[in-house]
Amino acid sequence: MTPFDLLLQQLINGLSLGAMYALLALGFTIVYGILELINFSHFNVFMVGSFIAMGVLHLFGIEGQSVLLHGLPLVGVLLVVLVVTMIACGFLGVIIERFALRPLRGVKGPMAMITTIGVSYILSNVVLLTQGANEKNYPNPIPHWSFYIGGINGARITVFQILIWVISTLLMGGLFWFVQRSRLGKAMRATAQDPDAALMMGVEVNRVIMTAFFMGSALAGAAGLIFSLYYNFTSFGIGFSAGLRAFTAAVLGGIGNIPGAMVGGIIIGLIESLAGQYIAVKWADVIIFSILVLVLICRPAGLFGRLAPTKS
Amino acid sequence: METTTTSPDSTPDPTILDNTPGHENVNALHTVQVATSRWTRLTAPFERPRVQYAVITVVAILALIFPILSGDQANIDAAANATAYATLALGLNIVVGFAGLLDLGYAAFFAIGAYSFGILTSWQITPDWGVFWQPFAYLGLVQKVVQNGHAIVHFTVSFWIMLPVSAFIAAFFGVLFGAPTLRLRGDYLAIVTLGFGEIVPIVARNWTGLTNGAAGLNGIAGAQIGSYHFGINATPYYYVGLGLIAFLIFVSTRLRDGRIGRAWMAIRDDEIAASAMGIHLVRFKLLAFGIGAGFAGMSGTFYVAKLQTATPDMFGFPVSVMILVMVVLGGLGSIWGVVLGAILLQLLQTWFLGSLTQWIDALGTAIGSDYISSLDLTQASELIFGIILVAMMLYRREGLIPAARRQRALTTEQQHASVQRRAASDVRLSQISGERYAHAPGAVPMLEINDVTVRFGGLVALNKINITVPAGSVVAVIGPNGSGKSTLFNTITGLTRAAEGSILFNGAEILGLQPHEILKAGVARTFQNLRLFPTMTVLDNILVGQHARLRSGPIGTVFWGPSNLKEEKVARSWVLEIAEIFGNRLVPRLNHTVEGLSYANRRRVEISRALASRPRILLLDEPTAGMDTSESLELAEQIKGLNALGLTILIIEHKLDVVTRIASKVIVLDHGEKLTEGLPDEVRRNEAVLTAYLGRGAAARA
Repeated sequence: MTPFDLLLQQLINGLSLGAMYALLALGFTIVYGILELINFSHFNVFMVGSFIAMGVLHLFGIEGQSVLLHGLPLVGVLLVVLVVTMIACGFLGVIIERFALRPLRGVKGPMAMITTIGVSYILSNVVLLTQGANEKNYPNPIPHWSFYIGGINGARITVFQILIWVISTLLMGGLFWFVQRSRLGKAMRATAQDPDAALMMGVEVNRVIMTAFFMGSALAGAAGLIFSLYYNFTSFGIGFSAGLRAFTAAVLGGIGNIPGAMVGGIIIGLIESLAGQYIAVKWADVIIFSILVLVLICRPAGLFGRLAPTKS
Repeated sequence: METTTTSPDSTPDPTILDNTPGHENVNALHTVQVATSRWTRLTAPFERPRVQYAVITVVAILALIFPILSGDQANIDAAANATAYATLALGLNIVVGFAGLLDLGYAAFFAIGAYSFGILTSWQITPDWGVFWQPFAYLGLVQKVVQNGHAIVHFTVSFWIMLPVSAFIAAFFGVLFGAPTLRLRGDYLAIVTLGFGEIVPIVARNWTGLTNGAAGLNGIAGAQIGSYHFGINATPYYYVGLGLIAFLIFVSTRLRDGRIGRAWMAIRDDEIAASAMGIHLVRFKLLAFGIGAGFAGMSGTFYVAKLQTATPDMFGFPVSVMILVMVVLGGLGSIWGVVLGAILLQLLQTWFLGSLTQWIDALGTAIGSDYISSLDLTQASELIFGIILVAMMLYRREGLIPAARRQRALTTEQQHASVQRRAASDVRLSQISGERYAHAPGAVPMLEINDVTVRFGGLVALNKINITVPAGSVVAVIGPNGSGKSTLFNTITGLTRAAEGSILFNGAEILGLQPHEILKAGVARTFQNLRLFPTMTVLDNILVGQHARLRSGPIGTVFWGPSNLKEEKVARSWVLEIAEIFGNRLVPRLNHTVEGLSYANRRRVEISRALASRPRILLLDEPTAGMDTSESLELAEQIKGLNALGLTILIIEHKLDVVTRIASKVIVLDHGEKLTEGLPDEVRRNEAVLTAYLGRGAAARA
């Protein structure tokens, strides 16, 4: 590979990773926009999503990377897996909100944040105890077709990377449409700006918050599936570093800002793959966290600013 | 009940100033518990100081003889580890419990302390020998070692030196990382510390030259006393750990009960009010962060000396969370609680889960279930941590041993005691009167506001406002809602930035200063919507008001220098003196948290808190809101009395009878503009004012 091809390859990989981080970052940003809460349980809703999807793939008889599907069966299976995973994760998010966070709404201080850390721990350890500590080989029915840019030695785009871009574009477009156009989406934006005023205008704040958790968690589930298909493994511990990177993405784009989270996710994906190529994989985390700290200190509103004004 | 009248040099009433529990109401005949739940009844005996001392003594003795009682090395080893965790929990408690800063990367400071000691007592770094090292060799900090004919330096810094040195190194890093991040909002701080907590182990893993990477530091020399090496014997470490706990409990308690602890808790309860009361937010947050980090550094040195190895995995996110679980379980801000939390978690991990697994496995074998007999609960400790966090937050946020003392309710006699009203002539304050408060005719105005404009986005909240408050006067600001009155106060006290203009206080510019600097200059205020520190007592709230006038630093507070003791005593007698302005309304409630007070009494506490800072001008934002007519007029008398002492007062007030009674000048604001100013009676008849207040038609009829 020429240096240019190498760069191109890392950009392609970075865009794929970035789309995944963007999906995960959206969950942080939606919930933060409404509740001003950093939801650590989101880290492991993502991880649980990966395991749920694995279960569904197993139900279809897909084990390891040797059972490949083509054409309509491939699309059908992936669609079912995606929908089931998203709905299951969405309900997981709603349950977390209803039973662990709603009782703490309005309590001052870091109490709700501490609770989400607890929930996150419970999720990861339930998976650890039931599924074991070993990394799992992930069932992956997607064929290894690739496109080459500039000949067989050039940069490669796999069919799966294209799938990632398609799925994430559709999901993010759908979310954007929902928030901008639908009635509940409007209620959501109103609640993010001023929950009290929204409540008095007849917005059912509880329903809005539940919807936010459902959508954020559903997107996390999709991200969990993509993550595991991309790396061909899953484990109880994948939530932490992926979650922290996605959170960095949300902060980078301006937490609470939905398009910001998407762009932030792409940027973090690119940084990760470029830093891995040109600096060292082992320092990638340090670089990403340093960016997080720098952004928070120099530009706490993120690159694009927050959607909702700071509540007093 | 007669309230004691205190002149400045008489000794204060001990029943009020002694804040040991149980002494609050010696006059109380029948004490009524505020809330009697089963838990309350269970723990009620422990509220009594004598019982507390007895319990502490018994626990201390048990802790001291524990190694003799338990001959098992494994138990003593676990106990020694527990002491390390307890010291960590005590440190995190200062950061999270006292100052309310959620630090999710606390283990990073543990790591820094651990590696500092490890590197300076092992063979990890061995520079070439040179003359430079000779003085250090004399001090016993390094040794000259000849290997293969090559002279190198071997670091041999003693454990006892490294304990404080590690604390300083970790505190240094705490301040270094805290300085930029502590300006952030609380939830951002959590995530930055989390990132920092990840970076430190990664650096430790990858900077192999310094830390030997993932393999960890080896050959760390343990502690020794004289020629006695502790080696791998856990018992001496256990005693060192106990000593550390005792020392840190002592430090925590002294800090909590003094000026610094009050500042932390004020910040935790309400940052805006804290800075308006003269607390330098960044400095005191950094202090909490630094001291907490110092505790962790000390603990890291202790832990590594005991284990004689240090690997990056010992300091990751799970450790930070485990320490947080200890603090949450024991009770945020509760010193004894977090020690209990640490011990309970250690018991859970080393003993309870193992035993439980054995019982369950035996049960599984008995009923022939392979699944049950193969369960290993020792892996489930993190699951239990998660459950503890969620359960404590949902059902018992104050922890096992709550930090806040439960208060006794007032007796019926006290509640129904006839209210002592103080007339204006009764208001006497030793520290607000005298030369500083004497105003010569024609002196510089106390406050001169020139052309101040404040904009919020496109909205002009104040437009070129000019107000002069002569020294020694009472000036009232009136105006409809939204006319900019509170914005005016916020601008004077530095909470809102003005776009242009100048504000001269006693001839000096205060526009652009930080709120705490403005208070220190002599401008104190109350808030329209009450900004008290809800978890603190009336006494502590008013003591916070004196923050800027007190000097006690951390060292003086911990070791009780004579000047600190005297200062604290004077501060408390000053509180009593102020509270007595309000007759017997506040005095019997000094040891109650403000949450339980009536609205009117909370207003009085806020005024007292502002007065405690010995201001030269007092800004009162609707002080009589929520008071009935007689209470309002009573307060008006008291304000008049304060003014008679020489205190200049700027007051926002809606009740015109109060305004007429006390103000020498009235300023009317409307839509951010100054409508008019003049004597109360003039303003009352002014047509523009009537229009603004009552509408055009009303003005015509009037």
